[in-house]
Amino acid sequence: MVNVQILIIEILMAVFGLGILCMGLLVPRDSRRGIGYVTAVGLAVLLILAFVMRDASGVFLNSYIIDPFGNYFKILFLAAALLTAVCSFEYVEKTGMNQSEYYSLLVLATLGMMILSSSGELISLYLGLELMTITFIILTGFHLDNSKSAEAGIKYLLLGALSSAIFLYGLSLVYGATGSTVIKQIGFVVATNGASPALVLGTIFLLAGFAFKVTVVPFHMWSPDVYEGAPTPVTGFLSVASKAASIAALFRVFFVALPSLNSFWVQLFIVLAVLTMVLGNLVAIPQTNIKRLLAYSSISQAGYLLLGIVSFSVLGVGAVMYYSMLYVFGNMGAFMAATAFYNSDSSDEIEDYSGLAQRSPLIAAVMLFSLLSLAGIPPMAGFIGKFYLFMSIISRGYIWLAILGILLSMVSVYYYLMVAKSMYLGAPPEGSKTIRVNSSLQIAMVVSLLILFVLGIYPTPLTNYAMNTAVTFFMP
Amino acid sequence: MLQQYGIIAIFLIGGALTAIAALLVNWIIRPKLPPVGSKLNTYECGLETQGPTWIQFKVSYFLYALVFLLFDVETVFLYPWAVRFQVLGLFAFIEMIIFISILVIGLWYAWKEGALKWQ
Amino acid sequence: MLSTSTSTLVFWFLTILIVASALAVVLLRNIVHSALFLILTFVGIAGIYILLNAEFLAAVQILVYAGAIAILVVFAVMLTRRGDISESNLFNKNYLAAGVLCLALFILNTFLIGQTFWTIKSGEPPLNNVGAIADAFLGRYVLPFEVAAVLLLVAMVGAILLARGVNQDQ
Repeated sequence: MVNVQILIIEILMAVFGLGILCMGLLVPRDSRRGIGYVTAVGLAVLLILAFVMRDASGVFLNSYIIDPFGNYFKILFLAAALLTAVCSFEYVEKTGMNQSEYYSLLVLATLGMMILSSSGELISLYLGLELMTITFIILTGFHLDNSKSAEAGIKYLLLGALSSAIFLYGLSLVYGATGSTVIKQIGFVVATNGASPALVLGTIFLLAGFAFKVTVVPFHMWSPDVYEGAPTPVTGFLSVASKAASIAALFRVFFVALPSLNSFWVQLFIVLAVLTMVLGNLVAIPQTNIKRLLAYSSISQAGYLLLGIVSFSVLGVGAVMYYSMLYVFGNMGAFMAATAFYNSDSSDEIEDYSGLAQRSPLIAAVMLFSLLSLAGIPPMAGFIGKFYLFMSIISRGYIWLAILGILLSMVSVYYYLMVAKSMYLGAPPEGSKTIRVNSSLQIAMVVSLLILFVLGIYPTPLTNYAMNTAVTFFMP
Repeated sequence: MLQQYGIIAIFLIGGALTAIAALLVNWIIRPKLPPVGSKLNTYECGLETQGPTWIQFKVSYFLYALVFLLFDVETVFLYPWAVRFQVLGLFAFIEMIIFISILVIGLWYAWKEGALKWQ
Repeated sequence: MLSTSTSTLVFWFLTILIVASALAVVLLRNIVHSALFLILTFVGIAGIYILLNAEFLAAVQILVYAGAIAILVVFAVMLTRRGDISESNLFNKNYLAAGVLCLALFILNTFLIGQTFWTIKSGEPPLNNVGAIADAFLGRYVLPFEVAAVLLLVAMVGAILLARGVNQDQ
């Protein structure tokens, strides 16, 4: 008999996602408001379950790996999905989007990420990637009355299909060159037989496919438009969780299947990381729309995450794990604040944030501290995350790369503080009222802010856990 | 195995040649006069078209095609299972039941949301 | 088995068919004609699958691609059609750059694949490859198999949702 029970979280996720969809079919359209709350509660339960089961390990049919590394990312996805769900209550209501489909797709996208990050085999990995991408395409174009949302959906569809095709072509070349789709098996074959030109070509295509998902320059073109057009909570989720899922899968493919080629792909990643950090940070400066600003900021964050891959070490993997966890709270915090503002003013323009601190101290504070964490200013958690990432590359001798990263972080402080300047020093527009935020979103914002502070001031438990998990990831 | 496909290939080539031969014979024996009058119409017999014929289709066609495509793909997955049904046993049966029930939710959704209704 | 020379002949015939009809898809100015040539491309690829002894894949190619997807493409074209149909598949001004880029990529791919020493599996392909695929689907690859079901469902929900939105606008 097969050990199905180790897939418990994935199975529950699938049942839950499909259940929400069925629930929407059974409940009349005007009484579907509760579905959002059901989703949030369900995700919270699954989050607790995933946390309890964080040390579970096992292999399902030689192809699906349950290990602490994957479990860590599952917790991350569930946390991001929970924040997104809470953030969506009022937004979905206000924009009149279909409730049950929205939440169901949210859950199924999370399932796709879990499969993507835990697959030990390329076909499952591809299906996980597609499940994630297709749900995100639908969620991006979900706001049907908004032409920007529709445009974003089409852009994401076309470029997502292109990147999937490239990725699939890479997979077929890797399979052809090594005769296996099991990642570990590929690792053995490559280690014994060495690299053939077709394998190198396949590696490049795989890298390009992942780079699309992680929004690495020059594969980032879709992201600002898609981030701007998509419903704001979806943008938050897309920027945080899909990136982390792709990075996790990237680790599995490059560190397990192709470690013997590392001298080759590390060079590629250095080039990509430099391009991504420079372009992301510099182009963010002139942005006037908060979602576009966060899009470019999230491109630059992808550049920092790549540093952990460049270091090709336990420290690097641990640093990426830690950084992506706090990135969830940093970025989701910013997007929750943007959503709360949009719910009241229907605007995403930074100039409309003028005087926000007087109208809603909470939104302004959450936005400010989330942005400071993204910039890496102590005592916020982002500082510790960047510290470990830079440490990991310095320990491999790339001091110039660390200096470049630090300089560009300084640049990022500028555009993050421009938002803060507008919120705290600007005058509120004539006749504007105080903004009321619904209580569930308030709680989510406060919790995420607290986590950012706690992880910044007392990061040891999480960093230790991330480092220990990274060690197990490298063990055969 | 491949020889059987050879027969299909011969059939296809034979069919194509027959059609070409018919046109060729027509071309050889027809009177070679310049086409005039109703010869130049799209349809020598029948009605003239009213307005442009390349019209925009209703979205309903597209929805039907979408649903058809999905169940077409499902058939593709069902077929191998049906071939090996007796050998594979209970576990495969349960797997298939799960597979089908997931897709039945899709059918239910399409039905309930009116995608199968002609508007 | 067919003799090697016959299969080589068939291979070249199919390859020319595929490449020519694929070029027609790109170059023709009427997008409906492009769609029809796309079907021819799909059928040619099904022929290649048969040559590789992958009958099941060939059947899928005909059933899903030449059948369903082609219909979908034509419907999509007719649904979104604007203006003159005989000028519906034109190049924009970037065609030269795109052509050069594609050619460069093609040459690079061909060169690298040609440089590779491929290990060719010895032995006959399984006679009943549908059965082998069934064993793989429901055995080792059961997880991707079930994920595929979820993926199909999501795609259907999304398609209905978005297409119905278009419908309501009209």
